[in-house]
Amino acid sequence: MLPTYCPSCNEQLKVKCLHCENCQTEVTGKYDLPLLALLTSEDQQFITRFVINSGSLKEMSAELKLSYPTVRNMLNEIINQLKKDEK
Amino acid sequence: MLNPFTRIAGWQAFGMGLVFVIITGITGTFSNVAFDGAIDMHLGQKLTVAHSFQFLAIDILSVVVIMTFTGLIISKEFRIIDILGTMTLSKAPLIIFAIAGFFTVSPDMNEILKNPYIVFQSVSFILVTIISIPVIIWNIILMFNALKISCGIKGNKLAIAFIIAILISEIISKILIYNIVKI
Repeated sequence: MLPTYCPSCNEQLKVKCLHCENCQTEVTGKYDLPLLALLTSEDQQFITRFVINSGSLKEMSAELKLSYPTVRNMLNEIINQLKKDEK
Repeated sequence: MLNPFTRIAGWQAFGMGLVFVIITGITGTFSNVAFDGAIDMHLGQKLTVAHSFQFLAIDILSVVVIMTFTGLIISKEFRIIDILGTMTLSKAPLIIFAIAGFFTVSPDMNEILKNPYIVFQSVSFILVTIISIPVIIWNIILMFNALKISCGIKGNKLAIAFIIAILISEIISKILIYNIVKI
């Protein structure tokens, strides 16, 4: 799991260095983490399954064996989290 | 037990709820239990099957209509079928009270009015009345969770909206029963 928050002060982390395993090139800078990477691993998994299921809440509810409104509420919570992180 | 709606909602919940309601209505008719209000029930009423089902239909419809209006006010998005299904399934615990009605003989209402202490002479009546308390609480918890899951709301907003909605539902169901059901 990619760390997204500082373990010392809990501030959001930035990407400073990226490494190529093929030619050993390192790219350094100060990059923001992608918005989806800031979600918990469970939420990321949910989004992945949601996209694989063509964005169908009905199919998601069948796959997760949860009711339709429960799955919709889970999605709404992720949307609210993304909107919060976006600001 | 308290929140089946995370797994069951919509038409599935409505179908299951309907089965419970039908059994409750038939059982209640023969055990002389009347579900004459959204969160109300009484022992010792001689009813026909039609009256019993009229009571239950009014109970469910008044709750569903008021909860739908509540949903429109406090929630961004919800499906009416989820409200209908989950609220119907919330009536499932009432079957316990309908069955319990077989095991008690309710004192005559005129006798109770003459001497209210007469109810304490019937142990079975007191026991069934005590049983009705957790049944009503269970029913209310289920309705609360039904609104919570169906409308995707939580916190104080949910609690306040639910209390107001359930009180209005009870009043409306009483008015409708008084005006529609002719016993």
